[in-house]
Amino acid sequence: MQWRTIFAKEMSEDWRNFKWVWVPLVFILIAIMDPITTYFLPKILDSVGGMPDGAVFEMPEVSPVDAIMMSLTELSMFGVLVTVVISMGVISGERKSGVAELVLVKPVGYFTYISSKWAGKLLLVLTSYIIGMLVSWYYVNILFGEITFSDFMSLLFFYGLWLVLVITITIFYNTLFKVPGVVGAVSIGTIIVMSILNQIFSHKLTWFPNSLSSHIGEMLTTGEISGDLWGTSVVIIILVIVLLVSSLFTFRGKEMAG
Amino acid sequence: MAIIKVDQLKKAFDKQDVVKGLSFELTPGKCVALLGPNGAGKTTTLRMLSGLLKQTSGSVTFEGMKENGDIRAYIGYLPQYPVFHNWMTGKEFLVYVGQLAKLTKAEATSRADELLERVGISDAGNRRIGKYSGGMKQRLGIAQAMIHKPMLIMLDEPVSSLDPIGRREVLTLMEELKEQTTILFSTHILSDAEEVSDDLLLMSQGEIVESGSIQELREKHQTSKIHLAFRGEVDTYYEALKHLNSISESAMEKGEIQLLVDNIDQARVDILSLAAKENWPLTKFEISRVSLEELFMKVVKS
Repeated sequence: MQWRTIFAKEMSEDWRNFKWVWVPLVFILIAIMDPITTYFLPKILDSVGGMPDGAVFEMPEVSPVDAIMMSLTELSMFGVLVTVVISMGVISGERKSGVAELVLVKPVGYFTYISSKWAGKLLLVLTSYIIGMLVSWYYVNILFGEITFSDFMSLLFFYGLWLVLVITITIFYNTLFKVPGVVGAVSIGTIIVMSILNQIFSHKLTWFPNSLSSHIGEMLTTGEISGDLWGTSVVIIILVIVLLVSSLFTFRGKEMAG
Repeated sequence: MAIIKVDQLKKAFDKQDVVKGLSFELTPGKCVALLGPNGAGKTTTLRMLSGLLKQTSGSVTFEGMKENGDIRAYIGYLPQYPVFHNWMTGKEFLVYVGQLAKLTKAEATSRADELLERVGISDAGNRRIGKYSGGMKQRLGIAQAMIHKPMLIMLDEPVSSLDPIGRREVLTLMEELKEQTTILFSTHILSDAEEVSDDLLLMSQGEIVESGSIQELREKHQTSKIHLAFRGEVDTYYEALKHLNSISESAMEKGEIQLLVDNIDQARVDILSLAAKENWPLTKFEISRVSLEELFMKVVKS
């Protein structure tokens, strides 16, 4: 009951401050930006006067898989950034402003409070992500060639896990810090450190969360879901659960006022 | 029977004791004022009672609470500066917190209507809270504290930030609420405490320095005050008076001498005989009762 109340409040809040409008739009933009500019690059070059005479410039052949992976690369940067920015104040903002003092003095379980907010942001971000990727898939199919429905669904599912992890990391820091800006900075910092670790140790840590997109790329090329992809997914899911449980404990230890 | 028992409640921030071992009980149906100057630890105390802060040591027991029950189900709390979701309407917010307090949506809605009417902002119920004035927010704050019919409501400085009209209205509202529930409110203004409360808990520097009903306190601290004025300089008379046994405190102010005495009869004899003997040019001899305000100052300073 209480869970649904807070979840519904999150939904109507995000609706009234237009997040339900702009977040999907931004995700569409992020997802289609790279594939579309790549496709039109030769035409754009022509329209601004073309290459100088005699210059030979081979446009690399872009496969449908390359094209849709471009969307994922952009999402890994800007999509993650947007996700962190819209989730960094869900709990810390309420504590900072003082609303939490009114809400948490009612008999609300802390886990109810945290998980309902987590689910609220999950719904918003995943919906936006799915819409964005659907639009990207549509253009990739028209401009670069076919990606099958089942491949696309696998990609959608597996990459979605990465966004779930990003939201969970941000929610975790929400329970730790009281200032939304700090939550945002630390979350981004964590993700950057994770990606550096991934680059350094990629040969050792094949199941590291950040290796998800490269496994997805292999899946699209070979058409088969590798053990590594499953492994990475399981690691991510475990991390999400651990972070959620830790959120509860850090939040319990916090004092809601003062 | 007490509704809430507080035993040796302590709170330290960074090793500094803010609340130093409070013990008191609240009787159901009473309105109790937690009175003290700024920084006495009133807000910290209320926050501990409402579960928003964890005490360093000591216990808070709520009578009638089930084993392992959630104290928050039985209390309503209004912070000193209540902050709401400004994008919600007043009614939406009440329904929201009502549901959080485990009312059904229908119950919360009817309760919200009732309370909006009750606190006098039913016209503004469907307006966004962001557009409310300070007084309206304070009333909405009281309404949200009442939404689940708590056994005890705690109000942190409910009238301090209001203008005289708003303050009058909220005090009247508290008079009405007193009929239905137990109220504990903090204030640093004595007249507010005097006006609505049955009992006082006087707090200073993290301790309860005095408690009881207003009547009891007056009787207990029934000191009298004597004002003396003289023709000419008063210094020499002041020096002589200061050392009388019957005088507990003395002060010189604007060329007059003020004396606090415990036994007024003895003091009168002492002073007047001294004045007669030394032939002092006494121009004024006045006896008055110490006001509660002065008592408050005295208790807080000592």
